[in-house]
Amino acid sequence: MSVTSRGELTAVMIFRNFIYYIKEAFCSIFRNGWMSFASVSVVTVTLLMLGSFILLNKNVEFLAAEIKNQVEIIARVEETLPPPEVERLRAQVIQLEKVAEVRFVSKEEALQNLKAQLGDVVAGYEEEGRNPLRDSFEIRTVIPEDIPEVAAELAALPGIAEVDYGADVVPKLFSVTNMVKWIGMAFMVGLAVTAVFLIANTIKLTVTARAKEIMIMKWVGATEWFIRWPFVFEGMLLGAVGALIPTLILQRLYAEAFTWTRINLYFLPLVEPEAILGELTKLLLLLGASIGTLGSIFSIRRFLKV
Amino acid sequence: MIELFRVNMVYPNGVVALKNITFTIERSEFVFMVGASGAGKSTLIRLLGREFLPTSGRIRVFGKDLTKMRRREIPLYRRSIGVVFQDFRLLNNRTVYDNVAFAMRVVGAPSREIRKRVPEVLAMVGLEKKAKRKPPELSGGEQQRVCLARAIVNQPSLIIADEPTGNLDPDTSMEIMELLETINIRGTTVIMATHDKQIVDAMKKRVIALEDGQVVRDEQRGAYSSYDI
Repeated sequence: MSVTSRGELTAVMIFRNFIYYIKEAFCSIFRNGWMSFASVSVVTVTLLMLGSFILLNKNVEFLAAEIKNQVEIIARVEETLPPPEVERLRAQVIQLEKVAEVRFVSKEEALQNLKAQLGDVVAGYEEEGRNPLRDSFEIRTVIPEDIPEVAAELAALPGIAEVDYGADVVPKLFSVTNMVKWIGMAFMVGLAVTAVFLIANTIKLTVTARAKEIMIMKWVGATEWFIRWPFVFEGMLLGAVGALIPTLILQRLYAEAFTWTRINLYFLPLVEPEAILGELTKLLLLLGASIGTLGSIFSIRRFLKV
Repeated sequence: MIELFRVNMVYPNGVVALKNITFTIERSEFVFMVGASGAGKSTLIRLLGREFLPTSGRIRVFGKDLTKMRRREIPLYRRSIGVVFQDFRLLNNRTVYDNVAFAMRVVGAPSREIRKRVPEVLAMVGLEKKAKRKPPELSGGEQQRVCLARAIVNQPSLIIADEPTGNLDPDTSMEIMELLETINIRGTTVIMATHDKQIVDAMKKRVIALEDGQVVRDEQRGAYSSYDI
């Protein structure tokens, strides 16, 4: 009878088979060179798009967060309030739970700021007693989203004449950044699904090309997993290689883009490469390997039924 | 060793391939399955290989009922039979040696044993000098011998051959038959489907004749057709 019986699935045999699977996977990649090339290309192209989009999305989020953090409340103090009272009011504001930071801006300082923005238009107001502005507080909240609430609390405090935080702009900004985030997510999910589909199809082509091989394996008594493992490793390997290429490209390009914008578009801050590329590399490699593996398993299923 | 009892086979497309087939084959027998194309020979071979199940009836091989075999038992069952195909079914991108060794790797044989056994089998079929060649570089007869070597390398107790000489010229065919006979004399049961009259008449073995999916004749030391004797 045959050389093996059911009970012989020892560790030695598993190890021996493992070596065989890896070897088969490598041989098969080279034997089916064009198919391998096609699979790797598909992974490369889709992950390159996906990766670029992740980078774009991260930066939009980052930018939105930056803008949000720059939003502050300006609370103007009544002119009649004597300086000690102003100081007491400041202490009161900083006590508020959601407030992170309070900065006092005297009316002279405010006028200087205005002058810096508008120029000589304000010249006439610089003389003592002619300043039309009020002393004010610039207040930052812990979370930007709390701004409307804190603003309302501030308005209720005695001694505060008016509160301004761009009531129209803030909710709009929040809804826009949220929308960008969601559209980005939807787009990325769509791309990932497309990638799995494309790769499954490409691997299906390679498997179809080897349907004969699989049939022979079945006829000499190979178990399903014995047939499957080399394909699984092959898919994993092709996926990982396909992910490595866009990873390297994106790393290089992003570093370039970061340096370029820092010099030429200094007002447009990008996420530090160190902060984003490590994560992106891990994600893309993992995604590539999983996509390859899944694609293999999906496409081989049909051929195992002999 | 092989028992078919009232086996019927109707393909999903409605074609009736086998009708009420019953016969028994003993250990170490050499049996020809003859009949015209479409008589049901291939269906029988594929049933014996457990490629699919009969519509009704029972098939027992080595005392095991194929119709009740679990899915994961199929590979183990196939390791106890060797199959020879008309179209050889060799892996064209691997060497002769690898094609034969492949069948041993599949069953998880140790490399040491593979290195010892494969040359033995190749010598037996007379291909020891072509071990490093690839199938497309060989003649049809040589390819069939590789297929035969692959079938016997795991020492199966049953060889199923589906028209093994169908693509070969008469002289080469006889060489293959001699090999099959040698294998049979060493104790392996051989079932061979064929419509090669010359071979069947020359070998004088048991003949099971099929016609339109039915057994029309079953005789020891038979010939291809009954009126030839």
